[in-house]
Formats: sequence, structure tokens, C-alpha cells
Amino acid sequence: MQNLLDFLRRYNYLFIFVVLEVVSFVLLFRFNSYQGSVWLSAANGVTAHINNLYKQGEDYFRLKTINTQLTEENIRLQQENAILSEALLTVTHDSTYTEKRVSEQLTGYTLIPAKVVSNKVVRGANNYIVINRGTAEGIRPEMGVVGGGGVVGIVYLTSKHHSLIIPLTHVKSSISCRVRGKNYFGYLQWDGRSTRKAHVDDVPRYAKARRGSVIETSGYSAVFPPGIFVGRVDKVVNSKDGQSYRLNVVLGNDFGNLRDVNVIATPYKNEIDALMFQADSLSER
Amino acid sequence: MLQNFFIRSFWFLLLVLLQTLVFNHIHFMGYATPMPYVYFLLIQPHHTDRWSYVCMGFLLGIAIDVFSNTIGAAAASMTLVGLLTPLLVKIFAPEDKLDEDFLPSAATMKWSGFLKLSAIAFFLHIALFFMLENFSLFDPETLFINIGASWVLTFLFVVAIEHIRMSFNKRFTL
Repeated sequence: MQNLLDFLRRYNYLFIFVVLEVVSFVLLFRFNSYQGSVWLSAANGVTAHINNLYKQGEDYFRLKTINTQLTEENIRLQQENAILSEALLTVTHDSTYTEKRVSEQLTGYTLIPAKVVSNKVVRGANNYIVINRGTAEGIRPEMGVVGGGGVVGIVYLTSKHHSLIIPLTHVKSSISCRVRGKNYFGYLQWDGRSTRKAHVDDVPRYAKARRGSVIETSGYSAVFPPGIFVGRVDKVVNSKDGQSYRLNVVLGNDFGNLRDVNVIATPYKNEIDALMFQADSLSER
Repeated sequence: MLQNFFIRSFWFLLLVLLQTLVFNHIHFMGYATPMPYVYFLLIQPHHTDRWSYVCMGFLLGIAIDVFSNTIGAAAASMTLVGLLTPLLVKIFAPEDKLDEDFLPSAATMKWSGFLKLSAIAFFLHIALFFMLENFSLFDPETLFINIGASWVLTFLFVVAIEHIRMSFNKRFTL
């Protein structure tokens, strides 16, 4: 303490000097407008700079919170994006001519839209398709399933929320078909080769099926209404016994790329339609 | 003591009056203005307290400022000169005089010592004064010409004043 007082006493002129200089500068800035404004703007500049530095520091320490927020938002946006792009896919789905025709023919039927959740497409094997609708949505075995390119297959087994479908590309699949415009019918079968191709056997030789003729459901089974597109004739060949033709058919659906399908769920309607169709064909004769 | 006070007051008033009535109106070539009032600090007795140097510098500066409308500029520079003058006197005074309470002047310090002392003190004051008054380096050439020209002119006036004082002292031993 004594040292401090000695120090103050010894260098009192320095303190006086500092005080008087401060007074001088205050007077200078106070009573001279030019110097005052220069001082003021310089001081403002310094203050702004310090404030800026402070703000930057503060921002830096807030980065962690912001990072968490951004991550959360990012996840939310990604989910939203996935949902929206799915919705967009459904909305902008370009319906083909066949698809329109199939849906026109199926007006009046209750259709249950479903998505394919599992699709086994292997050549030479027994393929199955699993869709995400089951008994809870009203799906029963033996219901027909159609897709954008026409007939897909028949419901075979159902659980509460999922169903197993036997597609056309299953060796045991057999669907009653006919050539459009003609009443000759046969059964569409798959030989286990290409999943894009099947064949119709036992078509009489006098049936004038040509390359490009449309193969559709005949309506003789209770599963599909008549006239649903199945595929087009690719080649007309002799069957093994030589008595009839075998029609090689290019299927309307690409089973390797199947996504949205509809299950035809109106009970008995197809039976009734089939009866009416048969009645019509009887009267034509 | 009282005589000392009167002598100081006399010089104070004389220099302030000279500055405000005469020297402030001189703008030699548009640049040079003599400011010989620092002389007041240089001729204080050697043993004056340093704090009173500082205070006297400030007071003289403020007085000049009030009359020449440059509030603060002369006060700030004179306060600095007041702080440094005792050091300069100590540096340029002859060593044998340092112990006694001598009055710095051309007679006691020799012309060379006194001129060096006043050159540095005046330069400090004038440089600082002009910088504070301009308060920017927007036109440094003019600023430096101002400082240099005023310094030279002031120096000439101080030599003249010192001459007059010496001859006066010889006659009346003031």
C-alpha cells in the first residue's frame, strides 16, 4: 500500500497528464464538429466491428444446436420427399391404352388397388407375387388380379393383410382365353421360359389367328370378366399333335416390372357377366 | 515566489495576447503561422515541478484555444509538450547547471543548447497541433508543408524574442 502511494506521489504528473489529455480530447471532439464527426464515425466503426466479432463468436457456439435442428429438419424433409415422390409417381403415372381399356371394361366392378410387395420373377420356376392387401380389405382366394397391361393372375392364398397371387408366369396357371373378335378359345399356359411370353394351345386350324391378334379373357371362367386384355399373338405354330395351332403370345404385363395391381372383388358379377356373355354367343349362332 | 508568479503571469498574458492579436493573423505564403507561445514553458525555472509544467501547458493551450477557436487542439499538444519539456531541458542543459535552479535561456544554456531544446519542443507542438486540427491524412503534402513552414517561422520568432529578452536582461537584470 505504501509502495502504491509512493508510486502515485512520484508519478503524479503522469496521471495529471493523462487526465488533462483526456479533457483536451473531449473538448476537441465536443466543440469541433469536424473532429467530432470523425471521432464519432471511427468510434461507431470500432463498436460495429466489436459487435460483429461478438456475434460471430455467439453464432459459433450456437452451431451445435443449429446442427441438430438441421439434421432433424433434413430427416423430416427426406421423409416428406419420399412420400411426395411416391404420390407424384401415382399421379403422373402415364396410363397406356391397354390400361384405359381394362379400366373401362372393369367399370361397375369393385376394384381393390394394391401394391406388389414381393415379386419373384425367375425363368423356369414357379413364380409368385405378394400384394399388400388381404382378407381385411375383402380379398378372397380365386379373385382375379389385373395390372396396367391386362391380366396379372389369380389370388391363391390370403392372410389378413397380404395375398399371394399365382401370376400368368406360373407353370400351373391356366386361364381361359380367346382371340378378340373370334370365339375360339383355349387356355393360356406358361412354358417356364421367358416371363414375357406364354402360349395358347388347342386353337383350331380354321381359327384365323394371325400375328398381332389380341388375346383376351374369354369369360368362361368365374374369375375374370370377358374381354380383359392378356397379350398379343407373336407367332402361330403347329401344336405338337399337329391337329391344332399353338399361339405364342407376348404378355401385356411385364412381370419383372409390376407395381400397381387391382383385385377384381365384386362377388358373382363376373359369373353373371359370363352367363350373359354365353347367352349372347348362343343367340348369335 | 511572488515575483516568480508575476513573471510567469506576465509572460503568459504577453504570449496569449501576441498570439491572438498578431500571430494568428499571419499566414505566410498561406501556410506558415508562427506559434511561439511554447516559449512560455521553455523559460520556466529548472526546478519547477513536473506536474506544474503539465498544468501550465494545459492552461496556456486552453487560453490560446479559446481565443483562436481551436478548442482542444492546442491544449492537447501543449499538455504533451509540458510533459516532455523537463526531460528536454535535462538533456540539453550544460551538466554543471543541472543541480542549481537555473532559468533556461540562451545565456544559461548556450545558444546551441537552447536552440536544440526549442527546435524539438516547437516541432512536437506544431506537428501535433496541425495533425489534431486537420484530423486526417487526406492531404498529407499540405499538412507537412504547414508543419514545416510554421516550425521554421516560429523558430525565427523565438530567436528574435530570445535576443530581445537577453538584451533586456542585461540592461535591467529581470
